[in-house]
Amino acid sequence: MSALSKLKEAYLCLKAGRVTLPYPARPQPVPPRFRGRPIFDANRCIGCAGCANNCPAREILVFDVCQEIRILKYLGRRCTYCGRCADLCPEKAITMSKDFETATPSIADLQQTLELFMSTCQRCGRCFKEPTPLEQLKLKGYRFDDLAHDRWIFRSKAYLEKDQVAGDIDLELD
Amino acid sequence: MASRDILHQLKQRFGAALPRANVAGLDRLYVFVTPEALKDVCQFIFRDLDARYIISIGADDRPYSGKFLVAHNFAFDARHVLCSVLTEVNANGGRPQVPSITEVVPPANWAEREFRDLVGIEPVGHRYPKRLVLPDGWPEGVHPLRKDVPHDFCPPDYDENRDFQFEAPPEGCVVVPFGPFHPTLDEPTHFRLYVEGETVRGCEYRGFMAHRGIEKLAETVLGYNDIPMMAERICGICGCVHNVAYAQAVENAAAIVVPPRAEYIRTIMLELERLHSHLLWVGLACHIVGFDTLFMQAFRIREPVMWMAEQISGNRKTYSLCVIGGVRWEITPELRTGLRQVLDKLEAEWQAVVAAVSRDRNLQRRTRGVGIATPELVKNAALIGPVARAAGVAMDCRRDHPYAAYDRVEFEVIVEHGGDVWSRVVVRMKEVFESIKIIRQCLDKMEPGPLQAEIKDELPPGRFGMSSVEAPRGESHHFVITGENNRPRRWRVRAPTYQNLQGIPAMIKDQQLADMTISLGSIDPCFSCTDRLEVVDIRNQQTHVWSQEELVRLARRKT
Ligand code: SF4
Ligand code: SF4
Repeated sequence: MSALSKLKEAYLCLKAGRVTLPYPARPQPVPPRFRGRPIFDANRCIGCAGCANNCPAREILVFDVCQEIRILKYLGRRCTYCGRCADLCPEKAITMSKDFETATPSIADLQQTLELFMSTCQRCGRCFKEPTPLEQLKLKGYRFDDLAHDRWIFRSKAYLEKDQVAGDIDLELD
Repeated sequence: MASRDILHQLKQRFGAALPRANVAGLDRLYVFVTPEALKDVCQFIFRDLDARYIISIGADDRPYSGKFLVAHNFAFDARHVLCSVLTEVNANGGRPQVPSITEVVPPANWAEREFRDLVGIEPVGHRYPKRLVLPDGWPEGVHPLRKDVPHDFCPPDYDENRDFQFEAPPEGCVVVPFGPFHPTLDEPTHFRLYVEGETVRGCEYRGFMAHRGIEKLAETVLGYNDIPMMAERICGICGCVHNVAYAQAVENAAAIVVPPRAEYIRTIMLELERLHSHLLWVGLACHIVGFDTLFMQAFRIREPVMWMAEQISGNRKTYSLCVIGGVRWEITPELRTGLRQVLDKLEAEWQAVVAAVSRDRNLQRRTRGVGIATPELVKNAALIGPVARAAGVAMDCRRDHPYAAYDRVEFEVIVEHGGDVWSRVVVRMKEVFESIKIIRQCLDKMEPGPLQAEIKDELPPGRFGMSSVEAPRGESHHFVITGENNRPRRWRVRAPTYQNLQGIPAMIKDQQLADMTISLGSIDPCFSCTDRLEVVDIRNQQTHVWSQEELVRLARRKT
């Protein structure tokens, strides 16, 4: 009985033959819904920070440099490629690309930084008295931890260390 | 109404000891009991009403009610009710105490030790209140799951180099360390086996080496719809299970009705996951006993299932399937055809494999009579899933506590009576066919309609929700208390291995040391990642535990 089952097993193996794919020698196409690393389109983004507030990995940071410039930074470190950011972006400024071979010794290869021009009040030239979208977010419970970090939209109660922030961003503004 | 009946029975017996209760539907029951009566109520439920123990939860409820909360969850499988016995515990100046129920409900052992560690509620009368979850160097009196502890807090007096105190081995036994990184089990867990000759007489378990603090993150940082994506990462294989279970628990708490099409899609993805998990496990089990032919074949057959999952959800494993109120991925007619083809091929191929293997005497010699779990053990250690079904206990959440679309499909609960590893192999081999059957029915019955329910208002805070989902290796149970700021106040995950592991000492007792790996492998253990290593120098008999710095240095050394 056992001998017979051994024969059957041998037959199974022979019949299957070789099944290993020649990847990476030959590139492997991915299915249409595949979610690779997200790509941000600066021309479409309106800086609403919807993606930043809904990223489960907290991978997207939004940073106001002055009244008019908002920086959106995708950090690319622990992104889980879940595609929530692309789902939620009202302007469809994010595409989940087919790019999955992202191994790199330099994290900057994956990071993306958008510089967005925001508008100020056309009448007085100052910011609005009414709550700005940023302040509205704050009213909803998004945390800006202290003065130095008041520029951040980040909902977590996590405290961003000052120097760590500088390291994260590495902004070079003149 | 089954839940009302149970409440009625409890009321009759305990009367004033139950100050309030919440009958949250036909299949959910929340009873508050006074701490004094807790033990008796649990005993009555567990022994007299013959409920199955699921898990205990400790929660810091001080910001809302000024008290701590302890919940013991039970399942009435035959009556299709999940029941939670809740106790409010006085804060007692930050040192709350609750009577331990382990004496009458033995499987609560770990859960009580866990809330002692993490929430700081002392289970009075626990027989073995040793530290379970917190790392060895963590100071006493700091409890990470309390609301006043930030999620990234590391106590200043944390002592990284403190050693764990193991118990002394019994007389006449030597200690054999098993894991982490055992040649046949590359999982971060440590069993200290007490061995007499070649026979294992007992063991001490040391696990939780890489605690990821997921529950704390969910309570402090993430929002309702972020958590499913993270819940999915609790386990590398049954990710979708946790994803669905969490979403269902919140939906259960907030009374959100999921559209039927979404329910069918959830069912299909859960069953796809069961398919590839069973194929993987049968392969791995054979690999452990040295039967690599089947390992190769199982993995070959499994691959098209993974490709199919990738086509449906965009990923092989982390499907990111659920959000609260629905699913994100549609199953289009093309995918449906593709899925059917994959299933047909899989069924034919798996039949051939099962036919070839089921008579293989070598495999049976290695697995019959090994790692036996008796029905008594199943009850007293609250074992679940294929381990319980292989011991002749027919329990299956899909049938007993139907969720998603399982009440609309037909399938059999596979039961074997050997209780040994071979029976588990048989159970899981046969369940593959049941899963194929379920997916086919879902594809036939799937109704058109929306994928997500519309949620207009904020979810109400302070509501309880429970959800059990049958993962490939057992039942995953999620318990949620909804909260403010768009995130739950307390979320407790009970993964199947948490209970099944507690049965291991009894399963390996008095058997050969060589059978240890397959006994442990047969529950399909799923630990997490590890961070320590013990090296034994055989020349001078020195042991050395590597510290994290040393490991990092070693890993970064240029060769
Ligand atoms: S894909 Fe997911 S994890 Fe990555 S940036 Fe987008 S939302 Fe965050
Ligand atoms: S959600 Fe879209 S539009 Fe809004 S900040 Fe993100 S990328 Fe820009």
